[in-house]
Amino acid sequence: MPLPVVLWLSIALVAVSQVMILRSTVRAMRAAESEQARRGIEWAYAVVPVIVLLLVLVATWQASQEHALRLGLEASANQSVAP
Amino acid sequence: MTAPAAAVPREPSLARDLIALTKPRIISLLLLTTLAPMFVAGTPSWATILWTGIGGYLMAGGANAVNMYLDRDIDHVMARTKLRPIPSGRMAARAVLAFGIAIATAATWLLGHFVNVLTAALALSGFYFYVFVYTRWLKRTTPQNIVLGGAAGAFPPLVGWAAVTGRVDLASLYLFLIIFYWTPPHFWALALLKQRDYGKAGVPMAPNIWGEHETIDQMLWYTLLLIGLSALPVTFGVFGMFYFVSAIVLGGILLEGVWRIRRLAARGESWIPVAWKVYKYSLLYLALLFVAMAIDRHI
Repeated sequence: MPLPVVLWLSIALVAVSQVMILRSTVRAMRAAESEQARRGIEWAYAVVPVIVLLLVLVATWQASQEHALRLGLEASANQSVAP
Repeated sequence: MTAPAAAVPREPSLARDLIALTKPRIISLLLLTTLAPMFVAGTPSWATILWTGIGGYLMAGGANAVNMYLDRDIDHVMARTKLRPIPSGRMAARAVLAFGIAIATAATWLLGHFVNVLTAALALSGFYFYVFVYTRWLKRTTPQNIVLGGAAGAFPPLVGWAAVTGRVDLASLYLFLIIFYWTPPHFWALALLKQRDYGKAGVPMAPNIWGEHETIDQMLWYTLLLIGLSALPVTFGVFGMFYFVSAIVLGGILLEGVWRIRRLAARGESWIPVAWKVYKYSLLYLALLFVAMAIDRHI
């Protein structure tokens, strides 16, 4: 499977799953009938991993671009060396 | 005719209790997730492997002992923990605390002296996170305790990586995140089975607060997220095809187990045997995934 396909399929899976986790957490908080302040804290707990994940995904996209560029340069170098 | 050896209970001893305080069975997986990343990061010397392994064991063991000290008021309530050295009266609480701090201090010195300062700092951060953030703060206050608390168990790969490279980078962050996102489906499978115990102890685990349905739903989404996340290091060249196929197959088996729990729960049928299988398989999943990482880098 080409690497860009793996990249975008994985990012889509991660993003959809994370949104569904947030939705489920909000639903669970409402059903638990916790007080407003408690809900705010629970919401913060749910959002912290999302922020970290977003940063890591951006770094992954940059790293995968660099990796693709490196692979491209290696391939062209090999072609120019070949008789 | 003599009775079978297995029927004779082992006599408690101080040495056995001290080892029990460190939770050796749990640490074996933590050690694997420390040592396997060392072979992903490079080719570590035997001395680095030895000191990181000893330091890692002592640090995690110290955290577990301090955890048992802090949880001494609820450990006697739960069937799973009532035979531990403090609730069973075999050891004084203060002695357990002193033991935990002593071996964690020894671990910090060993790692700092024989490996490097970053490795010692990361291992100590894991200790503090487990003791103060998870046990002291999150465990008894939120049903998301093991989601954020999962970060404590995710430090070992950072420790192993730093021991070899002297730094933390994107690849090592992925190993951290894989354990972080593996923790909810792993631990909630156990929490579903031990709901009554956690309820008696007043620990707000997700199944007790959110209910079974919502917890199982989240287990499914966390497993899907884990599969996507475990595939991503392939895209920037850290791992190759062997790891990619292993991650997808191992993740697929975990997903199938969680899906079966969800289906049985939706039908109102018993999901208990499947939840046990998922809990046990999740341990195997993490071990095999990290072994696959190490193999992939060396083939």
